[in-house]
Order: sequence, then C-alpha cells, then structure tokens
Amino acid sequence: MASTDIRDLQKGSAEMIVLALLEGRARHGYELAKLIESQSDNKLQFHVASLYPLLYRLERKRLVEGRWVEKAGERRRRFYRLTSEGRRALEHQRRTWREFVDALNVLTRFGHA
Amino acid sequence: MHNWQQYVRERLSHITVSPERECEIVGELALQLEQAYTGALTGGATEQEALSHARNQIRNWDDLAREINLAERYVPAPSEKDRPFSGFVADVRYALRFFRRNPTFTAIAVLTLAFGIGGNTAIFTLVDAVALRSLPYSDPSRLTAIETRKSQQPEIEPWTSALDFFDMRDHFQSFSHLAGISPIWNLVLTGNQPAERVEALFVSASFFPMLGISAARGRTFTSEEDNRSTPSRVVVLSHGFAERHFGGRDPVGSSFSMDGASWTVIGVMPVGFRYAGEPVSGTASDIEAWFPLSANPLAASARGLRFLKVIGRLKPGVTLERAAGEVAAIGGSLAEKYPATNQGFTDSIQPLSQQVISKFRGPMLLLLGAVGFVLLMACANVANLLLARAATRNREISVRIALGASRFRLLRQLLTEGLVLAVMGGLAGLTVAYVGLMYLVRTGPEPLVRAWPIQIDARALLFTTSAALLCAILAGLPPALRMLRGDANNGLREAGRGLTAASHRLRSGLVILQVSVALALLVGAGLLVHSFERLLEVDPGFQPRNLATISTLIYQSARTPAARTTLWGELHDQLLATPGVTGVAAVSRLPLMGSNLGSWLYKEGQTTGQPPLDVEYRVATPDYFRVMGIPLRAGRLFDDHDDANAANLVVIDEAAALRVWPGEDPLGKRIKLGSDAATAPWITVIGVVGSVRHMSLENAPPPEIYRPYSASPMISPILVVRTATDPEPLLGPLAAKVRGIGPNVSAYNVFAMQTLVDRSTEQRRFVMLLVGGFAVMAVVLAAVGIYGTVSQAAYSELPKSAYGWLSAQPRKPLFR
Repeated sequence: MASTDIRDLQKGSAEMIVLALLEGRARHGYELAKLIESQSDNKLQFHVASLYPLLYRLERKRLVEGRWVEKAGERRRRFYRLTSEGRRALEHQRRTWREFVDALNVLTRFGHA
Repeated sequence: MHNWQQYVRERLSHITVSPERECEIVGELALQLEQAYTGALTGGATEQEALSHARNQIRNWDDLAREINLAERYVPAPSEKDRPFSGFVADVRYALRFFRRNPTFTAIAVLTLAFGIGGNTAIFTLVDAVALRSLPYSDPSRLTAIETRKSQQPEIEPWTSALDFFDMRDHFQSFSHLAGISPIWNLVLTGNQPAERVEALFVSASFFPMLGISAARGRTFTSEEDNRSTPSRVVVLSHGFAERHFGGRDPVGSSFSMDGASWTVIGVMPVGFRYAGEPVSGTASDIEAWFPLSANPLAASARGLRFLKVIGRLKPGVTLERAAGEVAAIGGSLAEKYPATNQGFTDSIQPLSQQVISKFRGPMLLLLGAVGFVLLMACANVANLLLARAATRNREISVRIALGASRFRLLRQLLTEGLVLAVMGGLAGLTVAYVGLMYLVRTGPEPLVRAWPIQIDARALLFTTSAALLCAILAGLPPALRMLRGDANNGLREAGRGLTAASHRLRSGLVILQVSVALALLVGAGLLVHSFERLLEVDPGFQPRNLATISTLIYQSARTPAARTTLWGELHDQLLATPGVTGVAAVSRLPLMGSNLGSWLYKEGQTTGQPPLDVEYRVATPDYFRVMGIPLRAGRLFDDHDDANAANLVVIDEAAALRVWPGEDPLGKRIKLGSDAATAPWITVIGVVGSVRHMSLENAPPPEIYRPYSASPMISPILVVRTATDPEPLLGPLAAKVRGIGPNVSAYNVFAMQTLVDRSTEQRRFVMLLVGGFAVMAVVLAAVGIYGTVSQAAYSELPKSAYGWLSAQPRKPLFR
C-alpha cells in the first residue's frame, strides 16, 4: 500500500527529480536510474520504460540537452545536462513543491507526526 | 556477446520518429540493457540471471514505444528561441554564407541596390535641406509672410511700402511680431583696406526676436535703435564677417566705416545663421550685416515706394485663416484711405516656409519622383535576381518543407536574405550617396546648394534605412511567396529544371514594370530636354557673346550727380583704352538678374481713375544698346547731345509699346513716371528697342522703359564691356582697372555675359541632367532585368529544345 502511494507521488515529481539530479553535472540514463534507486533507499524506482521517455520529453521541452560523449577507455554514452531553461524550471518546481508541502504541513500537521 | 542493439530494434518496431532519431534511441536503450547485464554479471549473477535481469528492464515494449512516440511528438510552448525573431542571427549567417559562395550574384544585386538607395539618399538629402525641413527658427509653423501684390499684374514681385508696413504693425491683432525687411542692400566697406562690397539687410528690431534667434555675442537691435525719427547707426554682423575682419577679437563696441558712415557693432550672429525667406531665398547671397530698418535711406520714403518684405509671427491660438481675414481687411482699409497709392493691390498671407520653398518645390518633387522610380527598378531587378536564384533552390526549399519546416520559418529566412542584401546595398549606397552629394553640391546651381547646409545626417540615415527595408520587402517578398506557394513535390520534380510557369509570369511582370517605368522616365527626361532646348533657343534680346560685365559700387561721397558723371567718364575712357575692348556702357541692372526698380507709367490721355501700369525701369548710358546688341526697332537711341534735355526723354521696349499703345506708333507720345501723376513731368518716347529677357529666359519680358544716364547718374553702375574676342582673359585686367579708379570703388560680379545666360538656366539644366541620368540608369536596369529573364527562360527551356533538336535529326544509327 505504502509503495503504491510513493509511486503515485513519484509520477508527479519525476520531472523535478531528474532535473535535480542533473543540476550538479551531466549524467547518462543508466547512471540516473542507479542514482534514483540508491539515493531513495530503493523506495523510488524509475523503470527504463518510464525514465527514457521522460528524458526525451524533457529534451523536447528544452529543459535538458542530450549529447553523445565518448570518453577514453569507455563506451560512447548519451549524457544529459540541464539547460538554463531547465534550471529555471527546476527552481520553479522546487518552489511549488515547497509551497505544497508547507500547505500540507499546516493542514495535516504530518511534520509533527 | 549479446547483440543488444538488434534486441532492442526488433522489439521497438512501433516507434515513429526519423531514422536518425530512431538510431539514437535504439543505441541508448541497448546501452542501458547492456549495462544492466554487465552490472548483474559483475554482481555475481549467472549468465542466465544477468540476461533475465537485463531483459526485465523493459517488459512492455509496446508501452515504451507509445511513450516514446508521445514524448517525441511533444510540441513545446514557444520558447525564446521560437519567437518570431529568434533564429534571426542564424538566418543572417546562412544568407551571408550563400552570398559569399555566389560573389557575382551578390555583387550585381548589391551594386544595383547601392545605386538605387544611394541615389535616393543623395536626392533626399538635397530635397530635405531645400524643401522639406522646417525652418531653423523657433516655432517656425507660426511664421508667416504677408505679401502685397498688384491685382492686375500678379506676376510682379510683391513689395510693401514702409508707411503701409508701419500702419499694418499698428493695427494687426493676429500677430505677436511684425517685421519689415529691405531688399538685399549692397554697401561699400571703406577704411584702410581696399573697398569691399557687403551684402546687407535692413530689418525691424522685431526681426531677430521673431525668429527666436539671439546674437552669439553682444545683442540685436532694440526698438529705440529702430526708431523712425532718430535711427541709430548700429550694426549686427554675421559670424563670417566678424571672423574675417576682427579675427579673434570681440568686435562688439568697435566701429567701422560703411558707405561713408560710421557704424557701431552691437552684436555678432551665431555661426550658420541665415535668413531663409525673401528677399534672400532663391539667391546665393550671403548677408553679412544687418542694420535697423529705420536707418535705411528709403525708410522715410512716400507710400508709393514699395521696397519691403513683411513677415509676422502669429499669436498663439490664431489660425492662418483668421490672420488672412485681418490682412485682407487692413489692406482694404488702406486702399480706401490712400486710393492713389494703394488701390488695385491685394494683400495675402502664407506660411513663411511656403514662401521659402515655392521656388524649388516643383523641381525637387520631380527629382524625388524620378529617383524613386529608379529605386523601384533596382528593387524589381534584385527581385528578378532572387527569382532566378529560386530556380536553383527549389529542391532545397521543397526538401525543407517536406521535412516539416514551417512556411513562416522559410518565408522569414527568404526575407532575411532580401534584408541582408538590402543592408549591404544600403551601406554601399551611403558611399554612393556621399560621393553623389559632394558632386551635387559642387556642380549644383548656387541658389540651390549654397543656401542650405546639405550633408548626410540622421534624417538621411533614417531615410536610407527605410529605403533599404522597403527594398528588402519589395525585392525579397515576390520570390519568397512564389517559392512557398509552390507544391513541395512539384519543387522536387522541377528541381534543376528551372522555374515554374508562374515564376516566369512573375518575372515577366517585373520586367514589364521595369520597361514601363524606364519608358516613363525616358519620356519625362525627353520632354525636359526638349523644353530645355527650346529655352536655349529663346532669344535673350541681346548678344551675350564677347561681352563682359563688372558690377561696381561707388563710395557715398562720390555720389553727387556731378561726381558720378565724372567717375563714369573716367571709367568709360580707361576701359575703352584696354586693347581688345570695342565698347563700354553702363546700366542700372543687368538682364536676367530679375527686377530692377519698378515705376508707374501714366500715358497722356489716360482717363482719371484708370490704374497706372507697372513697368520695369532701367537707367542706361547712350552706348548701352549698341554694346549689348539690343536692336533699335523705331525712332532713335539716346545720344551724347541729349544731356540738356535728357530728363525729358525715354526709350521703351516693344513690350511696353504693345501694352501701352497697342496698334499705335509710340514715337513722340508722352508719359509720366512715378507715384504722383499730378506733379511728375511729361517725358517723350524717342525710340523703341527690342525686348530683353530681364527676368529670366523662361518669362516673357515685362514692359520696360530706359532713362538716360545723364538724367539719373547711377550710384552703382553695372559696366558692360564688348570685346573683340573671348572676354575671359580680359576679366582680371578690366576689374583691376575699375578698382584702380579710386580706393573707394569696388568691383564685383566680374564675369562673361554668357556665364550669366548659362546661370539663368542652371537650375533647369541641373534638374534635366539629373532626371536624364536617372532615366539612363533606369534603362540600364531594365536591360539587365530583360537579360536576366531571357537568359533564365532560355536556360529552363534548354532541355526541351535539346530534345526537340535531337528528335528532329535524321534517324541514323550513332554507331555502325
């Protein structure tokens, strides 16, 4: 039950999560999937089936930019980095979520639970 | 080793994206699976477990394909990059790249536009300076000119008498200021230096405040200094005059001698100050000194002597119509009060700006129109060039449309190309305009180009920019629309075979337009040339060849009649003694220099109340007619024996004979001259001479009478010198002889008479040459346009013709 709830929440916040992970540096798809898994104690999971279409959609929105990069001794991978528009969108989403959480806090006092 | 690419490709068959994009997506997903697989192996999984782990990454391929399709089809809201002008820089770069690759095309297009835009900018700058720009005075729209014209002879230049002006000034309610301005006055600057002529104006004290111009140093006149009973001997100098005579010193407070009197300098006008209205407009005169109107020798003259131009500034809130009503009413009351001098005159008012530009408006608009047509032709030519270029770009455009480029995006790119061309043409055009303007200013008629500062400024740049933008649209839009209207598939099929029929029609239309415009310009230029030729054929009424002329001005102290007669005798003898000189005479004003003094003529037997005739009035020495080559038609000329009763004799011209005594013999008839018929003496007509074009070659000569020199010795005789050969080499020595007569005699306007004749047609010649030049330019542009269209048509028809030729050949085997 609890995990279903988290997945519902995850859907709404997927964009922000990906944008936030790309904030520090450019990453490739596999790395992103791994990071989400590891940093959320496996509570959040992005299946490949949803991560890549999300990345493509963000790319179409010009919030991220994908580029094939070949590093010495490594396979050629597609790296995604945040665009300036993406950076602005991330800020906006953070603000919206903060307001949402604050409102939830007031209404449900779940922060004191 | 697993082939993950193939694995993904086989399962992701339902995505509908471009092949390149599909490759990317497949590659990326394959890498994801491969990494999952490798990761599992590294984590200790068996081969089978690792494979299963990797395959479990994506379980439902159809869902994934649908999600990817949805994501890829997502159309983002217009971002900054997609707004109408985003990507403009890229378009410009693209256009520049194309132009670099096609230097011949670019050079022809840019040069064509450069001449079109440059020519227009040069002419616009000229016309703007001469006819469009508002006068450089404070609130110029409220400045008006009040004119008093003779109702029966409206062609006579309007002047107002001093007394009428004072009455107007006392009664007008509509004006905050009213100023009288004298004709351009020639004065002799005397002192230590050689005599120098100075052109001056006598103006009311309100003249400068009315224009809103203050002196740069010192001040202008006060109304006390312009007092009619006790005029002050003060003068305001032009900046140029002050610089020339006082160098860096402040002239204010110093005195100098002009016309034998001492004048105190009270102010110096700012650099570049010039009064633009009459009597200065239309002349190349450079006024160097301003005196109070009341100091003018004619200021106290009778009401019949009309010698002032009047200007006024409307009070705030007063309309021109209301002022016109008042001007007419006061003119009417003056006519009632002073019927002898004021009846038969009409007073009118017009904006001062209109008075200033009236002499130039027609020719200026003609020039602007002609050069505008040239710009239109240049645009048509560039449009034609771009259309021709479209032939080679059909495929590119069609492919881009097929790939989903929006028509707006393509239209923008094509228009950008036109704009880049126009900007390049505009920049090159500025150079053309600069050079053209320098040429115009150097060769143009003096009254036109010397009177105003003519230079390329912000207004000209704005005009150039607008012209370039207009060119961009006119030249870029037809080919752009043409290309975009075409069907993409058609374009693909047609590519490489030239233009469609519709494009041909468009290009033919452009060429027809060009030919029509060129023809119209040619016809216009032809008419101008024809009328100019007729003007040159006009007989000026005298023989200008081998004739020199020198204007003189005699210092005031020599202006007693006896002194003048002695001086003239000396001048005559000395000049006649010069080798190559065959005759010397003097006149009060040369032909083709406009009006001299007018006089009223009453003929004997004229009924009382009948208005007198305004006639031109000249004073001439007995030899004047012979030296000038003015033919005697009847009677006799003055001779040296007339001296005793010279005052009673007059020679008239044919125009006066016809006007005053139509169908009668004028010889022996008596007339009176002047404003007072009762007191003026009777004068007898002794001869009739041919009419001379005194005003200009274009205008029919007004009635003219000549009085003998001995009856009225001139203050500033204009000498005419007949020479045996070309007078040019003699001009210097002759002028030196005149100056050598005495330190207070100046000689100026020294030139061959033919120069005066040429100068009188200068403005027409100037306009004719320019319009002719534009017509030739238009023909060249039309020829280039026709060449382009025909060659393009031939090119696109080539395959068909070639097939036709081949099929018409006898069927012989090529190889045996």
